[in-house]
Amino acid sequence: MRYEIVLKYLGIILLFNAFFLFIAFIISIFMVESSAIPLLFSSFLCLVIGFFPMLFVEPISDITFSEGIYIVVIGWLSTCLVGMLPYIMWGGEFTLVNAWFESVSGFTTTGSTILSDIETLPKGLLFWRSATHWMGGIGVIMFVLFILPNSQNPRLKLLNTEISELSKTSYKYRAKQIISILAFVYIGLTLVETLLLWAAGMSFFDAINHAFATIATGGFSTKNMSIAYFNNFNIELIIVVFMILSGIHFGLLFNTLTGRPNNIFQSKIVRAYLVILMIGVMLVALKLFLNGNYDLATSFRSALFQVVSLGTTTGFATEDTAIWPVFTQIILIYFTIQCAMAGSTSGGLKFDRVFIFIKSVKKQINLIQHPRAVIALKIDKRIINETLENQVLGFIVLYIFTLFISTVLLTFFDVGLYTAFSASVATLGNVGPGFENVSSLGNFASLPDMAKIILSADMLLGRLEIFSIIIFLSIRRNRI
Amino acid sequence: MHPLKLLYFIAKSLHDKKVDSKSRSLEAINDYSNFTNRMIIKRKLKYKLLSGFVLLILMLVVAGVISIIEFTKLSNSVNALIEDNYKTIEASKSMIEALEREDSGVLLLLLGEWDQGREIISAADSSFNKAFEAALQNLTEPHEDEYVQKIGDSYAAFKQAWQKPIVDTDKQGNITWYRNTIHQSFLTTKKNVNALMSLNQESMHAEASRLKDKSHRAIMPGIVTIIAALLFSVMLNFFISRYLVTPILELTEAVKNYKFVNSSLQLNIKSEDEIKTLEMEINKLINKTSV
Repeated sequence: MRYEIVLKYLGIILLFNAFFLFIAFIISIFMVESSAIPLLFSSFLCLVIGFFPMLFVEPISDITFSEGIYIVVIGWLSTCLVGMLPYIMWGGEFTLVNAWFESVSGFTTTGSTILSDIETLPKGLLFWRSATHWMGGIGVIMFVLFILPNSQNPRLKLLNTEISELSKTSYKYRAKQIISILAFVYIGLTLVETLLLWAAGMSFFDAINHAFATIATGGFSTKNMSIAYFNNFNIELIIVVFMILSGIHFGLLFNTLTGRPNNIFQSKIVRAYLVILMIGVMLVALKLFLNGNYDLATSFRSALFQVVSLGTTTGFATEDTAIWPVFTQIILIYFTIQCAMAGSTSGGLKFDRVFIFIKSVKKQINLIQHPRAVIALKIDKRIINETLENQVLGFIVLYIFTLFISTVLLTFFDVGLYTAFSASVATLGNVGPGFENVSSLGNFASLPDMAKIILSADMLLGRLEIFSIIIFLSIRRNRI
Repeated sequence: MHPLKLLYFIAKSLHDKKVDSKSRSLEAINDYSNFTNRMIIKRKLKYKLLSGFVLLILMLVVAGVISIIEFTKLSNSVNALIEDNYKTIEASKSMIEALEREDSGVLLLLLGEWDQGREIISAADSSFNKAFEAALQNLTEPHEDEYVQKIGDSYAAFKQAWQKPIVDTDKQGNITWYRNTIHQSFLTTKKNVNALMSLNQESMHAEASRLKDKSHRAIMPGIVTIIAALLFSVMLNFFISRYLVTPILELTEAVKNYKFVNSSLQLNIKSEDEIKTLEMEINKLINKTSV
């Protein structure tokens, strides 16, 4: 293991943080806020510590698999650590644990918050919160890959470590092209949504912050009441459209935009994802209407926003879903577990895995009926090999097991069962809001510190898709 | 090429009379080229290490400067807290005390104690006016002037009531008159003074919360820098070990195990720094001794 290489890449990640911290500092200076010095000092520290390894480490031509895992896992941990610096230095509601929770929630695009009064936060810090979403959405490592010189090997290794095997299935490009496509779609969507939200009546500051949070499928808002604050149908509609787009595989979006085959109109998986999403919307809207919560139009509007928000792992809110009927809450919990598509910015289980799981079950039933048959599992004319199929099934089992362990641990610290379960689901899936004490218009402030630490770990496990962390820990143990 | 150094080497070569002028010039240029290369390579590691310490010092200096700025802000806020609110609160307390003494003085007048009553009232009036003036000169909160104005008006009404003769008039011993006129204006004035005091106390409380945040912001850069400096030191130590100590140990080991077989030291030093120069020089020495 060449630790100097790991340090060099961690340095580049810190430099990215320094850049966004500096922009937040400029906003703070412009608004004459108390967060200016904490942001400037955090940026300075990131710059110094990030720049130093570059003085020593010469350009490299290759990295090993274990070095790649180290860069990705420690990269995420260190970026979350520096992300909490401005919070902890500014103070207010940010204790050590709260700052860590908020930073992890930002970078992993979970969007759960410990803040009970977001609107009192300086604008510079609000921007930094949203920037953590934006950096984390595409993956901090992806930023590093984007600026790496033309060294194909390290780039490919890191790409393979950062994005799952499943995410790569819709790409038929080389590593460099995949990174460019991701960046193109990501930046493009952010710019377009910012302009649309601005035109729909948001201030430019709110528009850019909400665009960062939507495209990254994060969920941090600049308002205590989240999107409900604006009470504007156009804004809600724009956000819904962009939440859906951000939940779709970026490679398919790119192909659609450039008129290539293998686009979202041809993809069965996208069709299935959208159909299930719409069924969810209809069921929730119907129940809300029949229950007398709202009139028909409002029921549909609220159901559409909340189902899409949770189904894409964004976590914005227009209603307090904690007071909705239990049936609708169960539907929403399903979408919180299922999450959006692989290859998008969403976290959690991912719809592709659910799709492969259903196909695999179908295949097993067919095999029971026709034991001699040779049945290939296909998605969009691509054969899913058995290794990937087994990985998917293994991941689902591991995911549910992690969910169970997390819920049990939370109840050990006297968190109520429903809050513990919904908070675990919401954080492991990088969704954000849960139910009961941590509902869509609520926050995680009331939870004990240990519960916040457990939930932060859930967020990281969800973002790194569990396996990376296990491999990282096993590398340490076995010295691979 | 630096012209002065080039001239020096050309002059040096001209001084040497054993070789012809053409070869002398070429040799001089080569000498100069080797010299500058050596200088660049030689200083590389030195500068890297130096920059590490410079960055560490810079980090501490910046943290120190930020802490000083924040502590200065904190100190100014404490002064402002005392100046802005504490003085008015003290003045309000004095006004209430003076009002109560005046009220007692009026009661003595009602009992017919002319001398004692007037003496108390006069002294209390003087101290009230002094405190009122202090409050008037220290208007720091929004709408504070309106609060002070109300106190002035109600006190004027109170004063007007007791300034007229009481002893040997129908007011002497008249409790109803006292309750309806004097006591009412006394209560109104006291209420207005209390309102002024509350305004300043609330502001003081809010400022105290802000002070807590400011002190937090003054302390945190120091704590964060200590942790960052520790991490940086560990990193610096790692790089010194990796790029300085390890190559030297490898070089030492290679020299120790070197067997005179007309070949150079086989080392895998990739960095272009002083260690590489040392390796090259050792190999040159080996070549010379083998010749």
